[in-house]
Amino acid sequence: MASIVSAGTTSATALNMSADTSGVLQLASNNGTVAVTVDTSQKVGVGTTSPTQKLTVAGGLGFSSALTFTGAGYEIGQDGAAFLCFSGGSAGTRFIDASTATEWMRVDASGNLQFNSGYGSVAVAYGCRAWVNFNGTGTVAIRASGNVSSITDNGSGDYTVNFTTAMPDVNYSVVALTQFINDNRGTFAAMGAEIRSVTTPLTTSACRIGTGRTFSPYSLEDALSVYVAIFR
Amino acid sequence: MNSRIIYPTDDGVAIIVPAPECGLTIEEIAAKDVPAGKPFKIVDVADIPTDRTFRNAWEYTA
Repeated sequence: MASIVSAGTTSATALNMSADTSGVLQLASNNGTVAVTVDTSQKVGVGTTSPTQKLTVAGGLGFSSALTFTGAGYEIGQDGAAFLCFSGGSAGTRFIDASTATEWMRVDASGNLQFNSGYGSVAVAYGCRAWVNFNGTGTVAIRASGNVSSITDNGSGDYTVNFTTAMPDVNYSVVALTQFINDNRGTFAAMGAEIRSVTTPLTTSACRIGTGRTFSPYSLEDALSVYVAIFR
Repeated sequence: MNSRIIYPTDDGVAIIVPAPECGLTIEEIAAKDVPAGKPFKIVDVADIPTDRTFRNAWEYTA
């Protein structure tokens, strides 16, 4: 059958272009440069004359609005704050290795981030919401930190860690370690950190810790290094 | 930061040490981390003694 360009017989086929049975249909511009190819399997190539998928595009794609996967409820777009947004299905969004189908990461329907990262399967990641490494001796100073606005030096071995962004409640977990100057004070294994025995040692905006001797005579003492991590 | 914030406490004086990476100014940290109603001063770190032997005896002077 020869190639045909004809007027359609219905409003849905106002213009009909058909290639012959052995050929492809192409649109070209600029004196013959092919822009679009429809091959004999009805695969469409844009920027390529050899499409491998239903639609193969060789080159960048530009969208002036969200890319919506019809019927699936998925969308890739941009919100008003210029964030790239993935809108997943009702169960969430998964990131999967294409070759092995292994799931690496998921944001579930509750907004929980789950990841594998050597765990064996995806599981909810519980975040370290704040951390700090500081010197509690001499000129007390913070070496490095995350989500910590400051520490308050309340006295010898008595510090408050202040959060930049507050915790959602006071049911978080505090992990603290200390390192003391090696001055032959004895059993260093018994030197440690504690949650200070004050009225409100844990609040949404701060936690108060003490460092020092955990054996008699108990005392608060400055630590060369104090490491604090907050999990929630 | 080379500044510190000091304010009086029932036991003496508290010293706020800003986190260099927090992205807040010393004034913003003071507004956030000094207990409400407490007077405070922003001082240079060099004004804070480095010998902490008698740290619990330090006092706040307005």
